[in-house]
Amino acid sequence: MKTMKWLLRREFWEHKGMFFWAPVIAAALIAVLLTIASAQLATNAMAHATINGHQVTAQVNGIPAELKQAIGSGMAGGYLAVSAPLFFLLGLAVFLYCLNSLYEERRDRSILFWKSLPLSDRDTVLSKIGAGVVMLPLIYIGVATVLSLVVLFVIATVLFVKGINLFPVLFSEGGLYLAPFQLLGLLPVYALWALPTVGWLMLVSVWARSKAFMWAVGVPLMTIAVLKFVTVTYHLDWNVDWFVREVALRGMDGVFPGIWLAAEHVGADQLVNPATHMMDMTNVLRASYGTLSSPSAWIGALAGVAMLAATVRLRRWRDEG
Amino acid sequence: MSAVIAARGLTKRYGKNTAVDHIDFEIPAGRIVGLIGPNGSGKTTTLKAALGLIPFEGELSVLGKDPRTERDALMEDVCFIADVAILPRWLRVRDALDFVEGIHPRFSRAKAEAYLARTKLGADQKVKQMSKGMIVQLHLALVMAIDAKLLVLDEPTLGLDIMYRKQFYQHLLEDYFDEGKTIVITTHQVEEVEHILSDLMFIRDGKIVLASTMDEIGQRYTELMVGPDKVGAANALGPIDKRTVFGKSVMLFDGVPRAQLDVLGETRNPSVADLFVATMKGMYA
Repeated sequence: MKTMKWLLRREFWEHKGMFFWAPVIAAALIAVLLTIASAQLATNAMAHATINGHQVTAQVNGIPAELKQAIGSGMAGGYLAVSAPLFFLLGLAVFLYCLNSLYEERRDRSILFWKSLPLSDRDTVLSKIGAGVVMLPLIYIGVATVLSLVVLFVIATVLFVKGINLFPVLFSEGGLYLAPFQLLGLLPVYALWALPTVGWLMLVSVWARSKAFMWAVGVPLMTIAVLKFVTVTYHLDWNVDWFVREVALRGMDGVFPGIWLAAEHVGADQLVNPATHMMDMTNVLRASYGTLSSPSAWIGALAGVAMLAATVRLRRWRDEG
Repeated sequence: MSAVIAARGLTKRYGKNTAVDHIDFEIPAGRIVGLIGPNGSGKTTTLKAALGLIPFEGELSVLGKDPRTERDALMEDVCFIADVAILPRWLRVRDALDFVEGIHPRFSRAKAEAYLARTKLGADQKVKQMSKGMIVQLHLALVMAIDAKLLVLDEPTLGLDIMYRKQFYQHLLEDYFDEGKTIVITTHQVEEVEHILSDLMFIRDGKIVLASTMDEIGQRYTELMVGPDKVGAANALGPIDKRTVFGKSVMLFDGVPRAQLDVLGETRNPSVADLFVATMKGMYA
């Protein structure tokens, strides 16, 4: 347990830029841009504003109480949506992290230093999986929560300046406080759907002698190209699209948060709160756990675990010369 | 369990190539063994097998454990520096100390810090800001502070200045080594290690051609410097190697009593380097 703590800390030291600075800088950028835009909105004599796609007509003498309630609860339930770019960044970060996780140490030969210490290959690979699908998302969730609250506060302040006081409604909404925990609640779904991609990328990472990215992306793409070619040339009825969707893509896009909604064709209507017509974390959470009833999720996860087991074995026996 | 490393029929093949060919040897505890051989002779492969880094055939026991199946437990008592291993560029001196202290039950932080205090390394320095000599200093500070039962050094001072190399071996002998430890060293710079070795193993073409203690070697081999008048008599005793220095013949004898040679000229103990050259004759032809 103590060893695992240090192994995770090692991953953080090595990838501080990706684990910490990238989300913080991205969040700061989003916050600054939105604040500038909001400030402009507040000083302009504009009569309406668009919030999360919802057209709001602002009158100095206020808006109807029920509309105010609707906007307030909509914002409280869906304010995390502003952090969406951060979660795309998380996908990229996990992808690159996994692909380099066992490749970099072989490239710079530091693997022989790590192997001179009492660190088993299993623990090392486990620590890297943990860093990729738990530690990285946790950091991004934390940063996203702070960013979303800041942006929510800025927007509410702008509206307040415009004569609409949403603060009492916002603070009374349970969804405001619940949303970050609902985001945390998505972590197991994320990890499960990420497993096939994490497994594939780490397997390439531990195996490739060079050009890990080419192998990781090239092999699935080439396989698709060959399958397409063979199917067309020999007039076969192979379902290549199924292979693309269920095998090739699962090995590459699983690390992007929310991919499970696309994979299981969850419609946008299921994510939206019918009362407020805005994205709502409660609905997102429910729909996300709903995708776990699909065998595809579990078969993919099993394939991921198998590839990770092979990764441990390869790291154990690969002769690094 | 007397032997720290015991090999019986140790064999390693790479495809059709046999890197290590049915070798047997035993290294008792408390020795400093020099494993000497030309490039490609199988010395690094032997060490890699002992450290559980590669699969192999035959029997090999290290501290009573099989490095193939019990590597994780073995590494608590074994440490090594491989010639090609380097520390990762992002590692900070302080973090390196924290990390090894955190994961290694036999690491003494005080020892590592004492060693680092004698260098110019600062706690906040990253490996990428260090010269090659400094990186090795950090690596050695970490490894020397680990109270391992077996330390394997594969070309530990490769590419280092003479100052660093001298310092390293001095440190190894004075501060690190004791009767409870065993050290196995491979190196090309034989002359730098010969005075610290207790045992010598020559390996050639995947086979061990000489394995002996330094004391035995001193008794067995004699170098004779002989004038032209007595060359015939000396030749009759069957030297294993001959060379000429300033018009005098220098001959190497194996197993000829020293008293018998003393009458022919000056005798002395041969250097490991001369012995190595004589043993490896034909390898570089």
